[in-house]
Amino acid sequence: MSSDLAFALRGVGTAVAGNFRLRDVTFELPTGYVMGLIGANGAGKTTTIRCLLGMRRIDAGEIELLGHRVPGPVELRQDVGVVLDHTCLVGDWRLTEVERTLRPFYDRWDAAGYRRLLGEFGLDPRARVKDLSRGMAMKLMIAVALSHQARLLVFDEPSSGLDPVTRDELVGIIGDFLVDEGHSVLFSTHITSDLDRIGDYVTLLHEGRIVRTGTKDEILDAYRIVRAGPDDLRGLVGVQLIGARRTPAGSQALVRTEEAALLGGDVLVEAPTLEEIAVHVGARAPRREPDPGVEGDPARHASSLSTGGAS
Amino acid sequence: MRVVLSNSAGVPLYQQIKEQLGTAILTGELAEGSALPSVRALARDLRISIITTTRAYAELAAEGFIATVPGKGAYVLPLDSALVREQLLRQIEDGLQAALTAARQAGIRRDELIGILDGLIQAEQHDAVR
Amino acid sequence: MIAVARMAMLDLRTVAPHRYQGLAVFGVCLLFLTHNPVVFVPALVLLLTSQVAAHPFLIADKAGLETLYAMLPLRRRTVIYGHYAWAVASFVATAAVGTALTLLLARIQSAPLGGRTLLTVLTLSWAVFVVNVAIQFPLFVRFGYSRISLLSTFLPLALVMMALARLHLTIVTFAELQTWLPLLWVAGAAALVASVAVAVTADHRRVRNGAAAPGRER
Repeated sequence: MSSDLAFALRGVGTAVAGNFRLRDVTFELPTGYVMGLIGANGAGKTTTIRCLLGMRRIDAGEIELLGHRVPGPVELRQDVGVVLDHTCLVGDWRLTEVERTLRPFYDRWDAAGYRRLLGEFGLDPRARVKDLSRGMAMKLMIAVALSHQARLLVFDEPSSGLDPVTRDELVGIIGDFLVDEGHSVLFSTHITSDLDRIGDYVTLLHEGRIVRTGTKDEILDAYRIVRAGPDDLRGLVGVQLIGARRTPAGSQALVRTEEAALLGGDVLVEAPTLEEIAVHVGARAPRREPDPGVEGDPARHASSLSTGGAS
Repeated sequence: MRVVLSNSAGVPLYQQIKEQLGTAILTGELAEGSALPSVRALARDLRISIITTTRAYAELAAEGFIATVPGKGAYVLPLDSALVREQLLRQIEDGLQAALTAARQAGIRRDELIGILDGLIQAEQHDAVR
Repeated sequence: MIAVARMAMLDLRTVAPHRYQGLAVFGVCLLFLTHNPVVFVPALVLLLTSQVAAHPFLIADKAGLETLYAMLPLRRRTVIYGHYAWAVASFVATAAVGTALTLLLARIQSAPLGGRTLLTVLTLSWAVFVVNVAIQFPLFVRFGYSRISLLSTFLPLALVMMALARLHLTIVTFAELQTWLPLLWVAGAAALVASVAVAVTADHRRVRNGAAAPGRER
């Protein structure tokens, strides 16, 4: 248990409904930084966050949160602020009542801070929770988290459904929060543009597994995007094409940087954006049914068709 | 202090910060001893990641432009430090090397090249006087 | 203990926006029962308490408060204790106000109202309350309000009806009922404690299945 980590998941596994499960999920965030948890809908982002917050039992592995093993003492939750993609407050509560209701549970509630934040966020204390727009509801939850002086903020899909102005505000709020080096932020998203600039660390999740985790630059350096003619990316040996997309006009795929050198000279190899990485890693693996023309080409079968979740 | 970052410059963000702050220090716009915002405050103000800002500051510190105070911020070091001089010399060499390469391509000989340099120096002095 | 009280307060605040509905029910009881004050207390308790006590579950289901409980520095156990504490508190409050009003009405109508009668009525109220809460709460905890509300309203009601029918057949005299009163209080308290234990176990199972907080998975 080291105190310089905001949290760490090690080999976490949990079974969810159906045959979906998290498998061997391992990643960590040093204290003082922002991490983006990227994955398509259904990749397991919310499940991962719920495991981290102790809201869901895990079958395998261990989780460390702010220096404590999860599930730890409930007092740990004094230090964690949670902002979900839906409010979990009574719709009829006015924002003043929200404070009166939640305040008794927290040791370090800052009443003046709450009122100031409502003002800064343009929230009317007399407004009712149910009348808030999505962006306002999110800001209310942030105000609550900051008022009880959380050290770790966890957002689940904060930016989905938000207009660009509010998303930009969110980036500003996160920046303000991180001026204190004891503060850390984890947020899950499928909108990568928010992370392009402020993200320190990135974790890619696909079908319940970690595809890659590291600093944003490490992730960006780990992959190359390849664009080529329609048939140029066939029959490659030793290169795994991730989320290959083929049209009669051309083909495009993500490859690992170390494998990019094995590609021929007539393909275009470029540094990817986070968005491109997310799109290709999150692409659904095609159904493996034999299609004509494959039989005589084992190499293609072995490499080009293997798409999706690189491990 | 001003830092203007371009998203499409093709130059990494940390490099842009480093160059702009370095230039400001060399031109005296940021005087010796002036305080710079902390890494985290600058990251917030520029809306960029902390790792990026940390890297820019670390490189500026390594080159002797600034000194960082953990938890507080950074301040500009005296310009005459040997490191800065060395840094400037390296920049001069780089610039002259680029000029030499261009000159070779254009077939310009030594005398002509020195003439151009003299001309530039005179023009600059002329500007300074005026 | 303080944590349980805080949780009960949270339940109070959860139902507080619907207080006018509660007052309206109260008013209706008052109107209809003025000619027979003695039944006022059990009637109120039956109508109001079973609804008011269970109301936090309804709103929690609607507003996703399970997630809030999971975020607050609260043990799961405390959440359940708090719900029961809220239920008992709402019983005590309703019974107290009901008793006061019954006495008042009896005086206005100058109808004789013995302490024995009042005690009997209160005991029956307690029994009705316990049957409701002890059966409903573990079901709410295990399955969630909306999935089980039909059965959980029907079950206690059916039991009370059966008990009434049985009482009618066997114990006819008022005096005979008196001897059962202490037993009813003790049995009620025991049933509540047992119910709390069942609810805690049910909750344990629910958390393990990852259903503690409603909402989309993944």
